[in-house]
Amino acid sequence: MIGEFEYVLLTAAAALGDEAYGAAIREEIERSAGRRCSIGALYTTIDRLEAKNLLTTWMGEATAERGGRAKRMVRLTPHGVRAARDFYNTILSVSRGAAWAVERGQETI
Amino acid sequence: MSLSRTMLHAIARLLTPYEREAVLGDLEELHSNNWRGIAEIVDLYVRRRIVLWKSWRPWVASFGLAVPLSLTLMGLSVSIAKAGQQWINGNILHGSNLALGPGLALLLSNIILLTAWSFTGAFVMGTISRRTVRISVALSFVPCAFCLARFRIESLSRFCLLLFMIPAAWGLMYGLRFARIRLRSALFFAALITALTIPAWSTKGAWIPNWALSWPAWYLVATSLRKAPSLEEHHPWQIS
Repeated sequence: MIGEFEYVLLTAAAALGDEAYGAAIREEIERSAGRRCSIGALYTTIDRLEAKNLLTTWMGEATAERGGRAKRMVRLTPHGVRAARDFYNTILSVSRGAAWAVERGQETI
Repeated sequence: MSLSRTMLHAIARLLTPYEREAVLGDLEELHSNNWRGIAEIVDLYVRRRIVLWKSWRPWVASFGLAVPLSLTLMGLSVSIAKAGQQWINGNILHGSNLALGPGLALLLSNIILLTAWSFTGAFVMGTISRRTVRISVALSFVPCAFCLARFRIESLSRFCLLLFMIPAAWGLMYGLRFARIRLRSALFFAALITALTIPAWSTKGAWIPNWALSWPAWYLVATSLRKAPSLEEHHPWQIS
């Protein structure tokens, strides 16, 4: 099973879709998870996930706002989607009955 | 260009061209401070280096090959230099006949073994973990520096300790360049080494250093039978 940060990264990349690349994923993680994400943690995790065939990367186009430098684009593979779904389902399943999950459920209702 | 920006670009050279492009672009896009950018790049580089050491390969290359091989081959280098000096003094300087006695046969056998052990050991060191090869080479110099400082044989130059470095450098260069050796060549080295170490099998305690030095040759035989890794497995953004 994937780790927590791996799940966060896969989810951020999935949310960004075709616009998923280093800086965008980092901003998405910092915004949604409310935690700092270093470039080192980001790229080493991307490499690990790519080695596990959970995502694929390639060099994208260069833009002026990046000083004419190319982006490292990221896309989830079907394996990556399955791994993220399995992680999510496991978290939901193990959280059933936990006080914070019950409170959250009541808030939603 | 400011000092911090120059430093940022200099530090970014630690990364591969593809990764440098992506990381510098990200820092530019996020309007990151240059000093923070330097810290981020160093962090990425250190993480990449640490990741390499999670595998068994750099450990074997460094502590299973570099250190023990340099330690044992230094001893053999001195022994060969001493035997060679005695043979030259006895047969050329003070004698007239160049007899092929058991002393010369042993000397030749040891020279071949030193060459084959150094070549195969360094070849495997270069192939087993090429990304950490600089550390392996640096570690192989540690016993050399220690012994060079304590060398006390008057008649020999202390550089005799480093005789093994010549075939080792040759083997390392080949290992880094070709990654694999042909089965025929690997079998030749393994058979040669094993045949030349047979006389030492009866010597108590000699089999440990012999096998410590001989396993790379048999490792080369085993790996030469395997399928070559596909070029598609190479990731251009990982450190070289």
